[in-house]
Amino acid sequence: MSPSEAPAEATEVTEVTRVTATRPSAGRHTVALFISELRLVFGRARTQVGLGVLAAVPLLIGIAIKLSGNSGGAEGFIGQVAGNGLFLIVASLGLSLPFFLPTAVTVISGESLAGEASLGTLRNLLTAPAGRSRLLAAKMVALTVFCLVATMTIWVSGLIVGFILFPVGDVLLLSGSTVSLGEGLLRALVIALVISLSLLGLAAIGLFVSSLTSTPLAAMAATFGTFIVLGIMTAIPQLHAIHPWLLMYRWQSFADVLRDPPYWHEIGRNLLLQAGYVAVFYTAAWARITSRDIT
Amino acid sequence: MGVAQRSRRWLVPVATVAVVAGVGTLGPVVADASPKLPSITAQDLLAKVQTAKVDGLSGTVRSEADLGLPAIPGMAPGSRELTDLLSGQHTARVAFASPDKARVSLIDNQAEQLWTTDGTSAWAYDSSKREATKLTLPAHKTAKPEKALPKAYDPQAVAKQFLDAIDPTTKVQVSGTEKVAGRDAYKLRLVPKTDKTTVGSVTLAIDSKTWVPLDVTVMPRTGNDPAVELGFTSVSFDVPAASSFTFTPPKGVKVTDQKVPAAREHPESAPPNRGKPVKPGKPGAERPDKPTVIGTGWDSVAMIRGANAAGLASNPAAGPLAQLLAKAPTVQGSWGRGKVLTTKMVSALITDDGRVFVGLVTLDTLQAAAAKAPR
Amino acid sequence: MSAPVVTRGLTKRFHGGQVAVDAVDLEVPAGSVYGFLGPNGSGKTTTIRMLLGLIAPTSGEVELLGEPMPKAHLRVLPRVGALVEGPAFYPFWTGQANLLRFDAADRTADPKTRKARAGEALERVGLSNAAGKKVRAYSLGMRQRLAIAVALMQRRELLVLDEPTNGLDPQGTREVRHLIRDLAGDGTTVFTSTHLLAEVGQVCTHAAIMNRGKLLRQSTVADLRAELRPRLVVRTPDLGAAAETLQGLGVTELKTTEETVEGDPGELPIEKFAAALVAADVRIHGFGLERPSLEDTFVALTGEGFDVAE
Ligand SMILES: Nc1ncnc2c1ncn2[C@@H]1O[C@H](COP(=O)(O)OP(=O)(O)O)[C@@H](O)[C@H]1O
Ligand SMILES: [Mg+2]
Repeated sequence: MSPSEAPAEATEVTEVTRVTATRPSAGRHTVALFISELRLVFGRARTQVGLGVLAAVPLLIGIAIKLSGNSGGAEGFIGQVAGNGLFLIVASLGLSLPFFLPTAVTVISGESLAGEASLGTLRNLLTAPAGRSRLLAAKMVALTVFCLVATMTIWVSGLIVGFILFPVGDVLLLSGSTVSLGEGLLRALVIALVISLSLLGLAAIGLFVSSLTSTPLAAMAATFGTFIVLGIMTAIPQLHAIHPWLLMYRWQSFADVLRDPPYWHEIGRNLLLQAGYVAVFYTAAWARITSRDIT
Repeated sequence: MGVAQRSRRWLVPVATVAVVAGVGTLGPVVADASPKLPSITAQDLLAKVQTAKVDGLSGTVRSEADLGLPAIPGMAPGSRELTDLLSGQHTARVAFASPDKARVSLIDNQAEQLWTTDGTSAWAYDSSKREATKLTLPAHKTAKPEKALPKAYDPQAVAKQFLDAIDPTTKVQVSGTEKVAGRDAYKLRLVPKTDKTTVGSVTLAIDSKTWVPLDVTVMPRTGNDPAVELGFTSVSFDVPAASSFTFTPPKGVKVTDQKVPAAREHPESAPPNRGKPVKPGKPGAERPDKPTVIGTGWDSVAMIRGANAAGLASNPAAGPLAQLLAKAPTVQGSWGRGKVLTTKMVSALITDDGRVFVGLVTLDTLQAAAAKAPR
Repeated sequence: MSAPVVTRGLTKRFHGGQVAVDAVDLEVPAGSVYGFLGPNGSGKTTTIRMLLGLIAPTSGEVELLGEPMPKAHLRVLPRVGALVEGPAFYPFWTGQANLLRFDAADRTADPKTRKARAGEALERVGLSNAAGKKVRAYSLGMRQRLAIAVALMQRRELLVLDEPTNGLDPQGTREVRHLIRDLAGDGTTVFTSTHLLAEVGQVCTHAAIMNRGKLLRQSTVADLRAELRPRLVVRTPDLGAAAETLQGLGVTELKTTEETVEGDPGELPIEKFAAALVAADVRIHGFGLERPSLEDTFVALTGEGFDVAE
C-alpha cells in the first residue's frame, strides 16, 4: 500500500466507517513523539518534585540571608544578595550547579531508556515503530529541555523571591562597573542558559549509561558515580594535565557573563567541551540502542 | 542484522572520540600553523622591536608559569598572593593608550581585580571584597603614573627587559614564524651561551606589522614544558576609548584613598624573577632591603639582606614558608652556612646571617656569587 | 499477495549458548488465523521478537509483508499490530494516555484522529469505562485488553499477538477469540501464539507446533486433524471377547481400558465390526469412531506430554 493510494483504498472498503481506515502518508508527524516525550518527562510527579526542590533553593537562601541580617559581608555573589535581590538568581544558580542540578539531571537521564526497558514500554515504542535512532533523539531533546527548564525554574524563583525579600536596582558587575536592572536580568538569563548547556555533557553520559541496562536505579547510580569520580579527578592537582578534558573543569566560568564586557572565551571552551561529551556519549548510546536486543 | 554488522556500529562513537580528542589537542596547533613571511635578520628584527611604537592597544593576555615550585603546605586557596606569583595560569584583559592611560583586569574565578589609570588618578578594584582604592598621582613628570600599574601583563615591557639583558652571553636568532592571537609573528630566540643559568631559551613572538612582542616563552634548561609563557590570546591595535580607563566607584563599594609618594622606589633594576608575571601593586609586600645584583647577564644573582632565615626555620609555627625552610637542605661554604631551595628554574640560598641570594642559576653559581658578595 | 510472514532458517542463540529458536521456517498465508502453538519456553516469544525486529537473529531471515526485517521496519511495522510478551504500560498514566503515546511514536499515525481512534480501540476491547483510570489500577486482564487495544489503534494488515488471552477470565477469553475472528473477517492476517491447545482448535485456520525451539509441524488445522486416523472405540463389559474379535478383523494398535477397547480400524467399513461383535455375543454399550484431539497430535509429534520444555 503506497501512501498515495491509501485514501482511495479506504473509500473502497465498504464496511469501513471507522477513522482507522484513513492512513496519512509517512513521515509527516515526526514531532508527535518528541512532544509525547516531553509529556512523559514533565508529567511525572518525580520530575515535578525535583523542579519544586530547585525552586526552593532561592527561597531557602533568601530566607537564610534575610534572617541572618547579613548586609553583605560574605564574598562572592551571596554577599551581594542583601544589597540587590537580583543576585539571588545568580547565587542560587551558582550554588545549585555543583550538586542539585547534576542530581536532577542524573535522575532524569538515568531513567530515560532504562525506565522504558524496565517497564517493557520500550518494545511497544519500537514496534509502533518509533525507530531506535529517532527515539534516542527524542530522549536527548527531552533531556535538553529538562536542563533548560531546571535552570529557568531557579531563575524565575530567584527573581520572585529576590524581588520580594530584597531591594533591587542597578547591577554591579565583577569589573566594577554597573548596568541597569534590565540588563542584569538579561545577563542572569544568559547565565541560566549557559548553566543548562553545561549540564548537557552529564545528560549525555546518563543517556548512554541508561542505554546499557534495564534497571533505572542502576543507571542513575552509575551516572552519579561517574559524576563524583570526575569531580574528584578535577580536585586532584597531580592530574592537571587532563583537567581541561574533565566535564566540570570550566563549569564555574558562567560568572564571566558578569564581566564588562562579558568574557566569552572560557564559556566557549566549556560549551565546546560539553559538545564533545555529548558527541561521544550520544553516539555511544546510539551504537548501543540500535544494536541492543530488546527483551 | 548480523553480529558483525552490529558491532561495527561501535566504530561511530570510537571515531567520535578520535575526532573530539584530535580537535581538542591538534586543533589549536593546526590553527597556529607557521605563516609565510619575508625573512629578516635577528638584528633587523631587534631594531624594529626597539622602535616599535603603538598609540594604543587592547587585548587578552594569558600567562602560565611552571617554575617547578613545591606546593607550599597549608596554604589556603584564599591566600593567593604567593602561589599566584609563582605558578599557575592567569588571564588578564589589558588596554593601553599612550601616553599614560592603562587598564589591566585580572580575570579570576568568579572574581576580578582591576587596575586602571586615566593619567590623573588611578584606581584599584577587587570584586571579591568589593573594595576600591583610589590612588592620587603626584603631579610632576618623573614618576610616570603608569609605573604604578602592573607591567608584567604588558608583553612589551617584559620583552624589553629581556632585550636589555642581551649581551655577548646570548645567541640570538630568528627561529621561524608563528601565529599569535591571529596575527603573523616572527619568532626571536635567545639562547644563553653559559651553562650556569637554569634558563634554556627565551623565545619572543614579534608581530610582523607593529613589531610589538606578542608572546614570551621561557624554556628551562631541562624539560620540555615552558617555565613561563606570557602572551596575547587576542589583541587589537585600535586605540581604546578614553572612557575605558575611567573608573566610577559604584554604590555600595568601599573606597579608600591613598596618596602615591612622589619618590616611590620601583625595584626595576634586574629583578631576580624577570620574565615572570609579577603581580604588582601589592601593599605591605615591600622587600626588607633594596637588592644588590652580583654578576651580569644570565648568571647574575640578586642579594637581599634582612631575612631572618635561621629564626624562621627554627620556628615552624611561623608559617608555611618556615615549614618549607625547615625541610630545606643546609649547605656550607667560605661564605658561611645557609639553607637552599632549588626548583627547575629558580635557586635561592638563605644564609644564617640573614642574606638571601636568588637567581635563575644553578646552585653552584649561587654559592660562587655568595662567596663574592659583600657581607 | 505474498505470505505476510516468512522466515528462513531463523535461529536465535542467546549469550548463555542456549538455542531458543532453531532453524525455523514459517510461512503464514494471507488472511489466515495462524496459531503458533508450543509449551512454555518453546521459543514462541523469541520468534515473535525476531519477526518484529526487537532482537537480531543469530542467523536466518525474516520477511514481513513482503519486506525484509529488520531493515524495512519503519515501512513495515506501521502496518503491523503487535503484542509481545504480555502487556507493558506506564502505570502512572491512564489507559488512554498510554494508547496516545504509543500511537504518537508511529510517525505515520494521524494526530488529528488519534483521540477518536483511541476511543474506538478501547471500546473494541471493552475498556471504555476504564479509559481514564491509571493503568496502575488495572487488573492483569484489563492490561491484556489494553495491549490488544494498542494493536487495534490503526487498521493493520497483520496482527502479531503473543498469548493474547493470557490472564483473561473465561468471558474475556471468549471476547478476544471473537475479536480475532472479527478481524480475520476484515481480511487481517492474525498470527497468534498460545500454549493452549484448545485455543488453536477454536479460532485458528492454520497452526504451527513448536517444541524446544524447533518447528515440528506447520499446516492447516484441518490437515493436522485428518492426519491422525480415526479410532474405533467399543464400550463393553466383555473386554476380552471384543479385543479378540477385533483382532481377528485386522484392527491394529489395540488398547484395552477399564470399559473400552480401542484400535485402528484400518480400511474396513465400520458396520462390519458391529456385525462381527454382535455375532461374537459381545455386549455393546457404545460403539463408534473417534477423532483424535490436537493434544493427541502433539503427543504423536513429540512423543511427550504438553509440558514446559526445559
Ligand atoms: N533474553 C534471554 N536470554 C537467555 N535466554 C532466554 C532469553 N529469552 C528467552 N530465553 C530462553 O529461550 C527459551 C525460549 O523462550 P521464549 O521464547 O520466551 O518461550 P515461549 O514464549 O515459547 O514461552 C527459554 O528457554 C528461555 O529461557
Ligand atoms: Mg512467551
